[in-house]
Amino acid sequence: MIETQQLTKVFRDKKRGEIRAVDGVSFCCQPGQIYGLLGANGAGKTTTLRVLATILQPTSGTASVAGHDIVREPDVVRRKVGFLSTATALYGRLTAWEMVEYFGRLHGMDGNGLRQRMEEIFTTLDMMEFRDRRCDKLSTGMKQKVSIARTLVHDPPVMIFDEPTLGLDVMTARTIVAFIRDCRAQGKTVVFSTHVMVEAEKLCDTIGIIHTGKLLAEGTLAQLRERYRLEDLEDIFVRVVDERS
Amino acid sequence: MSGRNIGIVFRKELTDTLRDRRTLISSILLPLLLFPLLTVGFAGLAIVLARRATAEAFPVMLTGKEHAPELWRRIARIENFKMVPPSADYVRQINDKTLRAAVEFPPDFEKKLLAGVEEAQIVKVYHFQGELRSVAALRKIEKAVREYQEEIVKQRLDQRGVAQKALTPFEFEKQNVASAEKVGGNIAGFLLPYFIIVLCLTGAMYPAMDLTAGEKERGTLETLLASAASRMELVFGKFLLVLAMSLVTTLLSMISLVLTILLGAGLIRRVSSGFVIALSVKSLAAAFFLILPLAVIFSAVLLAISLFARNYREAQSYVGPLIFVVILPALVSFVPGMELNPRLALVPILNVSLAAKEVFSGNYPWKALGIILGSTSLYAVAALWWAVRQFHREKVLFRT
Repeated sequence: MIETQQLTKVFRDKKRGEIRAVDGVSFCCQPGQIYGLLGANGAGKTTTLRVLATILQPTSGTASVAGHDIVREPDVVRRKVGFLSTATALYGRLTAWEMVEYFGRLHGMDGNGLRQRMEEIFTTLDMMEFRDRRCDKLSTGMKQKVSIARTLVHDPPVMIFDEPTLGLDVMTARTIVAFIRDCRAQGKTVVFSTHVMVEAEKLCDTIGIIHTGKLLAEGTLAQLRERYRLEDLEDIFVRVVDERS
Repeated sequence: MSGRNIGIVFRKELTDTLRDRRTLISSILLPLLLFPLLTVGFAGLAIVLARRATAEAFPVMLTGKEHAPELWRRIARIENFKMVPPSADYVRQINDKTLRAAVEFPPDFEKKLLAGVEEAQIVKVYHFQGELRSVAALRKIEKAVREYQEEIVKQRLDQRGVAQKALTPFEFEKQNVASAEKVGGNIAGFLLPYFIIVLCLTGAMYPAMDLTAGEKERGTLETLLASAASRMELVFGKFLLVLAMSLVTTLLSMISLVLTILLGAGLIRRVSSGFVIALSVKSLAAAFFLILPLAVIFSAVLLAISLFARNYREAQSYVGPLIFVVILPALVSFVPGMELNPRLALVPILNVSLAAKEVFSGNYPWKALGIILGSTSLYAVAALWWAVRQFHREKVLFRT
């Protein structure tokens, strides 16, 4: 489960002054559910997810990930999380196998256990054919599969996806969407960010609309439609943002 | 902080680094080839130049032949000398390098000489100071003149019934008591500290940039930060790799140097017979020990600076000026008379340069060496602390 309480992240910039990238965000996501953070570029989605993955520290507020506090136990939280974004690239000079193995080892796995888990993932994702090929020689689709394998190797109960389909072709994006659904089916807690309305409609159990660092509206797609008396998620999104502007 | 995770990070970075051509060239290939290339290159060039200089004809002008027929004959007989007819513009010709030297005999030079006239006569030799061939011509002329001078002196002494030995009432003998290491070491002491310090830096440079700014540029830093490893484990894993590469580079350059000296000694002697390089295992080991904390400083500082950069190119522009910061104090070993003292023992880089110079000369000023090791280790801890801090700063990690 993920539960955030008044999560706030402030950046101080010499030119622009104080920037409240995340401003008192509170939400909850249960295991077996997908929570979607919907927002435009610069809304605060990436910062929120980076804070949840303990890559950044919150300025105030906190969150609990799989029962562990992100401020007090960041190392434990990282063991429970699989983090994937378009920014999380691969080591070009390592092979697909070495890449996944490296992250498995960093998660405390070793020996037969790690090997068996990797063989299982590589077989499921149909990666055996290119397991010993260097990552910089792989196609975009293959690279995405290696990234997925990297996030899954330690079988984390929580998955965080930051705009995972951004810039990908249709076929590769479909692989990712299918993978996110699989995670939910396996009972994992899934938080994911996007600015693509169709993706949010298709995938999310709960949608949170985020703008200028604030969570402005939250609910299931049906609840949002009823609340704003609009059918299309894009119209709902624009209405919510306009009301606050 | 887990030693296991540090080891995992180190091993991964090692695999990654050994597959990087840029790092392999700068950290392995360059130190191995630098000294042999320098030695063979310079010595070979010197031999070629010297051979060419001695083989080619030297145009020389002698004026006043009628005043010194004997000396003229002796000079004209010198190997490769080509006599040029006398003319008034010998100064221009020497400056134009069409003439190597010109000799002017005073009027009635030999007549007065043989008549025993005790008058100071001056034979003038015009040359181009600093010009290799002109100086070579001058030396040959000087030799011929001296020999002739000695013969005249001998003749005069014989005429007066004075024994030749009267001119040298006693002998003067000089003997070197310093060991070969100290004599040769002094020469090595000038050159080696500089090369070792600079190679210690360059060995760390490319891995440090690749492991930080390179990660940012390739987008793998965020992947790594999301892993289960703590920031401390990441810094130490990366730091140990950079340090290892720095030390490997230094060690390889030392091995290459020793091999160059052993194999190239003959070549060096052909260029200069008085040039001896002698290095003991003890001095090499001591120099390597002195370099250790310096390598820690270089590795940590390079990591911290490169991490600040947004990409590899920016890192290069930050690291570039650092080379000069290192080269200047390292060059101190070239300054004659610059000796190690307790105050200089506290100045980083410069202290190691001076200490290495002493060590290569066979001197072991233990107190100063202790101060250097202590102070450099303290600076190393500070540099490492700075690098760790940089890895904890979000502004540095996610600088846009």
